[in-house]
Amino acid sequence: MNHEQQEVAQFVMAQTPFNHLDASVTEYFVKHLDVIYLTRENQSQWLQSASPKLFLIRSGLYDLVDAKGDVITRLAQGDYFGFPSLLTGEEIKNRLAVQKEGIVYMLNQDAFDYLRREYKPFEQYFVRAHANRLLSSHYKSQNESWSERKISELMSRKAVTLAPDASIRQTAKKMKKHGVSSIMITEFERLVGVVTDRDLRNRVLADEVDPKDAVSSIMSAKPKFIFENNRVFSALHLMLKHNIHHLPVLDEHHKALGMITSTDLLRQQKSDPVQLIGRIYKAHSVADLKRYAAEVPELLRGFSNNIDDISLIGKLLSGLTDALTSRLIHLFQEDNGAAPTSFSFICFGSQAREEQTLHSDQDNGLLLPNDLSAQHQDYFRRMGEFVCEQLVECGIKRCPGNIMASNELCRMSISNWCERFFKWIKTPTPEAMLNCKIFFDLRFIEGSTALYASFCEQLTRISRNELFYAAMATDIKSNSVPIGLFNQFKLEKDAKQHKYIDLKKRGVVIINDIVRLYSLKAGIRRANTQERLDALLKHTLLSNHDVYNLKDCWRFLTQLRLRTQINEEGLPSNCINPDKLNSLERHQLKEAFYLVKQAQQAAAFKFARGSL
Amino acid sequence: MVKRWLNRYLKRKQLLAQAALEQRFIVIDLELTGLDPKQHEIVSVAWVMLEQQCIKLSQAEHHINKGVKQLDQSPVYHGIAQQDIAKGLSLKMILTQLSAHFEDAILVFHNSTLDWGFLKLAYAELGITVQPKLILDTFQIEKKRLHQQGHDIALDELTLSACRERYELPHYTCHHALTDAMATAELLLAQCHQISRGQVLKLRELL
Repeated sequence: MNHEQQEVAQFVMAQTPFNHLDASVTEYFVKHLDVIYLTRENQSQWLQSASPKLFLIRSGLYDLVDAKGDVITRLAQGDYFGFPSLLTGEEIKNRLAVQKEGIVYMLNQDAFDYLRREYKPFEQYFVRAHANRLLSSHYKSQNESWSERKISELMSRKAVTLAPDASIRQTAKKMKKHGVSSIMITEFERLVGVVTDRDLRNRVLADEVDPKDAVSSIMSAKPKFIFENNRVFSALHLMLKHNIHHLPVLDEHHKALGMITSTDLLRQQKSDPVQLIGRIYKAHSVADLKRYAAEVPELLRGFSNNIDDISLIGKLLSGLTDALTSRLIHLFQEDNGAAPTSFSFICFGSQAREEQTLHSDQDNGLLLPNDLSAQHQDYFRRMGEFVCEQLVECGIKRCPGNIMASNELCRMSISNWCERFFKWIKTPTPEAMLNCKIFFDLRFIEGSTALYASFCEQLTRISRNELFYAAMATDIKSNSVPIGLFNQFKLEKDAKQHKYIDLKKRGVVIINDIVRLYSLKAGIRRANTQERLDALLKHTLLSNHDVYNLKDCWRFLTQLRLRTQINEEGLPSNCINPDKLNSLERHQLKEAFYLVKQAQQAAAFKFARGSL
Repeated sequence: MVKRWLNRYLKRKQLLAQAALEQRFIVIDLELTGLDPKQHEIVSVAWVMLEQQCIKLSQAEHHINKGVKQLDQSPVYHGIAQQDIAKGLSLKMILTQLSAHFEDAILVFHNSTLDWGFLKLAYAELGITVQPKLILDTFQIEKKRLHQQGHDIALDELTLSACRERYELPHYTCHHALTDAMATAELLLAQCHQISRGQVLKLRELL
């Protein structure tokens, strides 16, 4: 009777678990649905313990809020809720905060039970979803944050490859046989190029190239690629930045494993931070950029209370800042002509470490070739001023320390930059040490990678200085961990006599400093602390055990820190009152500080010969 | 005669004072071969029931008029082919089923002038007396709402999909009588909530 409910059926059929199940399941589901318009005013009438229901969101935005008023998760199109009570018969404790009203489908207990009984995969899906919510701290399952997933988890297709001497026709035939829109060209298992449907159209058909020619003549040589261990987020970022739709996936020995397409990734995506980055990279005017930037705070609300997303927030914000910066540089060149020489726009500090928060300010600079003419210098002065000014307009504050490309001290040639770094390294005054902590965390944003690479190489060379390492280790040691005698917390007091521990200053920062020191010694050119630690696993400077300890500590402290930013009131940000923690968390916190202290002492011993 | 008229008047007045969201509605959409009730035909009739702010898909109905002679408009648009028509019901059966709900549900259309115009004539030709207790029109509700906000209204701003877009309701691609009936029901809910904003909304305010 109802098989004509096409719109509803099509939508339901596209959702898990229905997409894995027989069409008759969708039909039954649709036939028994009630459709409601869920609003602030009527939300409470649907969440009734006496008649639990399964809800599937068709449109609108809702925050699922627990009894304490904390946001458990944000729900949008395609998300379910209400199933825990259907499964357990327990009382409904959560409620909904309606962000945007919309259409929600509702299934009653009888129909839900019928589907559970008749279709095991249906039951499994919801039982698992329920278990995930219970297991993970703050309910959020790690697997649900799609952009933190590894590429390898998403890649389903095997690599379709061909040698570079194959003909264009063979290439097309192989693509047809495997039903793929792109193919990897490999030589001795190493990736040398990529050919897509579009290449066959634009570079073969349109240019009347002979299909008997070798495919190497039309492939995109040296294509962008991603490693299987990278996060989905990085893949999306790369695709959007370079406007490509196919990304080869390699293992760590650069062996081609497969291809990931923008469609593969977008299928995973439920919320829209990545779309926002995409729009930023395509923006045509500063006004557009400002409008997009204004959406960021609201976007982050969806992530805020969500522990598993924490490292993502920093990455996301840095990704957004990168995108804004990069787009501004392009817009500047559109209006003022292309840059007269190569340049690299770089960032420092928290942006480089990808640890930005909404309150982070700008830390950027320009790296220029040596011996620039006055005219060229003027061009880059205007570029630096334009970018920094517009970033302020987009909500990223001016750097109080004036670490910005608009400042001539941060807009220098390679040799001047090196000289500046060298001065700090040579005479490690406290001020120089402070600068090192900011400037030695650096990352490339836009421009010439060759220029940046050459700078990094020189920097590695001049920073290889044992006295400098010793000074840094000593400096790190002077920042004490808040653990006193008899393993008690040492608390700080503010003007209002709140007692607290500063998790950032006394914990996260120390780990960042220690990891930076080891990375400099090992010549690791990364800025993100977690990535640096991963890279340190391959060196013998630190035992793997120590690396894992530091990683765990960093993560624990960062998570605690972000949670307290949201929950604790009256305390300075990043601070926590240990009395508010449960006994397990208190124990973990002491353990973490103890490990940080050990790592501090080990670094001092290793680099400063235990001179303190 | 006067007494009956007065009785009806009082009943209607009473009804209009009731809360809109507590009513039972039948939301109807027709597929037609054209716009003129005198020369065009009803191809199919679809309706969904809306009660307690819930659209009940289990009570949704869609029937094709077996007796339809002319499919002037593209059958692709209706999604109805000749073989579907053979499986349909007679218009009399369909309309009898439909009118069984008129007693206890308020009728809702998007642009009732057209759809109710066809139905009224069809009921008259079939010799069935119907007396709906009330007819609501999401087209008119939207027109009035936009008018009160001081908008100049172009006709294409009042199509079902344009109205839905204004409330950010999902975009439906198929134009099937049943989809449109459901789309109209969803629109009515959105309109009620938008107009009432947490206050009790009386039926009178929707006229």
